[in-house]
Amino acid sequence: MSKSYRLWGRRSQFATLKSALLKRDLKLTPEASVAALKNVSFVIDRGEAFAIIGRNGSGKSTLLKIISGILKPTSGIVRVNGRIAALIELGAGFHPEITGRENIVINGIMLGLSRREIENRFDAIVEFSGIGEFIDQPVKTYSSGMYVRLGFAVAVHVDPEILLIDEVLAVGDEEFSQKCIAKIQEMKYRGVTLLFVTHQLDQARNLCDRALWLDHGAAAAIGDPARVVDDYLQAVSGGQPPTAVPAVDSGGPLSSTSKDSEEERWGSGEVILKRVVVADDKGRELVALGAGSAVAIEMDVEVRVPQDDFVFGVGIYHADGTCVYGTNTDLEGLMPQHLDADGRVRFVMPSLDLVAGTYRVDAAVHTRNGRAFDYRRGVLRFVVGSRVHDIGVYRPKHQWRFEGGIAFREIDNLKRNVPASIAEAMQSTEKKKK
Amino acid sequence: MNELATLYRYRQLLAALTARDLKARYRGSILGFFWSLANPLLLLAVYTVVFTIFFPQQVIPSYPLFLFAGILPWTFFSAAVLESTNSISSNAGLIKKVMFPAETLPLVVVLSHLVHFALALPVLFAAMGIYAYFGKATIPPTAVFVPFLMLLQTIFVAGIVMVVSSASVLLRDLRDIIANLMQLGFFITPIIYLIDRIPSRPLRALLRLNPMTPFVVSYQDVLFFGHLPGLADTLLIVFYALVSVMLGITVFDRLRDTLAEAI
Repeated sequence: MSKSYRLWGRRSQFATLKSALLKRDLKLTPEASVAALKNVSFVIDRGEAFAIIGRNGSGKSTLLKIISGILKPTSGIVRVNGRIAALIELGAGFHPEITGRENIVINGIMLGLSRREIENRFDAIVEFSGIGEFIDQPVKTYSSGMYVRLGFAVAVHVDPEILLIDEVLAVGDEEFSQKCIAKIQEMKYRGVTLLFVTHQLDQARNLCDRALWLDHGAAAAIGDPARVVDDYLQAVSGGQPPTAVPAVDSGGPLSSTSKDSEEERWGSGEVILKRVVVADDKGRELVALGAGSAVAIEMDVEVRVPQDDFVFGVGIYHADGTCVYGTNTDLEGLMPQHLDADGRVRFVMPSLDLVAGTYRVDAAVHTRNGRAFDYRRGVLRFVVGSRVHDIGVYRPKHQWRFEGGIAFREIDNLKRNVPASIAEAMQSTEKKKK
Repeated sequence: MNELATLYRYRQLLAALTARDLKARYRGSILGFFWSLANPLLLLAVYTVVFTIFFPQQVIPSYPLFLFAGILPWTFFSAAVLESTNSISSNAGLIKKVMFPAETLPLVVVLSHLVHFALALPVLFAAMGIYAYFGKATIPPTAVFVPFLMLLQTIFVAGIVMVVSSASVLLRDLRDIIANLMQLGFFITPIIYLIDRIPSRPLRALLRLNPMTPFVVSYQDVLFFGHLPGLADTLLIVFYALVSVMLGITVFDRLRDTLAEAI
């Protein structure tokens, strides 16, 4: 799908009026046109969270407007299946002279709700917006934060199947911002398809399943958000197109193909993670771990070009894709001093409090603004075994204590296999795990 | 037909926006809605004073009532059309930022002026009552046909407004052109005079070409003269209403996609 905007000059305006009056011809001929989107084509699945990133003027908002139906594509088609709500600008339909209450009704109707539906959601909307008693004041008296909060509150209560969001999360204070993100995550969980335009790249990385990087109206990269964001950062910091990752004297850039089919790897290659393993406290490499054991993620680092801005990070993911934990040296307040020779980084966990299952590890070394030297997604997998059939991903250290007239008989289930039929019963009788 | 379905779907929006328009207009003013009555009231008072005290020799008895019967539909038409030229560009935020049926904006202008028209009618009837009390006029029973005329006129105005509002996004000069045309229009529509009293025959024919002529004449028929509109006028009204609304839908549909960009 493509989109070009026509440019209207002063001369064409005059020609327009003249031709309209003299030739009775309302056909307008623009002086020139500018291509805002060039052959952008993609499919977003139901329930997916999709980020659109790129520089200012790269066509992100145009793309959202076309998807929402506000603009028509110059060529190509857009097919949308489902009720769509577009947050191009929060509170776009508000009229300053009438009250918040009246504006909620009108805004809701504009977004496709019926009067009755709005009445049912009214309290929830006011509650979410935190406007309180000001709801009966004209909107012109609101602060810009209140305005935006009310706009967001209405939009998320429309219950769309597809939600388009254009950089609106940047507004509002920290508290409301958190609330918005929580709400968006909730919507994602309920299966709402989300499309974001954002400049907050960590949002794209954390909230989205896939990302699209638009560069001068063309799709420069599409796929895994961490990867696309990284390509984008590489290009922004280096000024190079994404395909030409800067070559390094000692060894070329890292290829994205992986030796092992599970791994994805990218980065500039100035610093590389030669070997990433999970090891026990004696340094032995492990694949299967016992829940609660002491382990470390070890990274052997090869420095090809010395750096003074660097961050090491690890992420642990459950097999279903849930992020169990992620952190990096920068987040934990470690200031980089020097990285000028090969070495080893160990991420030590005294107790691996995970529930039984398969886990995937991401390891990365990158600059503090996120430009990757070496990003290894899914670099290794490990399995956590446990005799207790508890559920979830995280097992907090815990005990069962009973007081009064409640008692259990302890079965020694630690040394034998638990039949599935009574697993549930045993799970609840289990007192303590060593 | 498609257009009608869309309108039906957005009827709540139309109603809500019209209510918003009316509320916002008087929000914060002390007299509020009274202002929509005040204007016709004042106008009627002025006409009465001018045409009973300053120029008492009128060929039409109870001339202020005649004048008022013609001026109300004319004001509905001219004010709605003139205001609609801004209706889309002044709501640029909606057109550009919200998936929004753009035709509701000019139609809201029509509806809100229709409400003003409807609110002015009781003033006219009150005036008729006063005239009747002094035995100078009667309240004609044919006044019950006014709603039909209003319906047809609303359709007519809606069509024109759809053309004007969308075209004026591309041709900003249209507003000034229309403002001037309306001043001329007031005089080439038989509001302050009777068309039959014009001596020049070609001029009469010319005035009959004005689409507003049969509307205004019909209002005067049912509100002042107390007889039904002539067959020719009735057919013309229906004809103009249909042509106007079809033209409006056609033009608006053609320009719809360019609105969000050109605004």
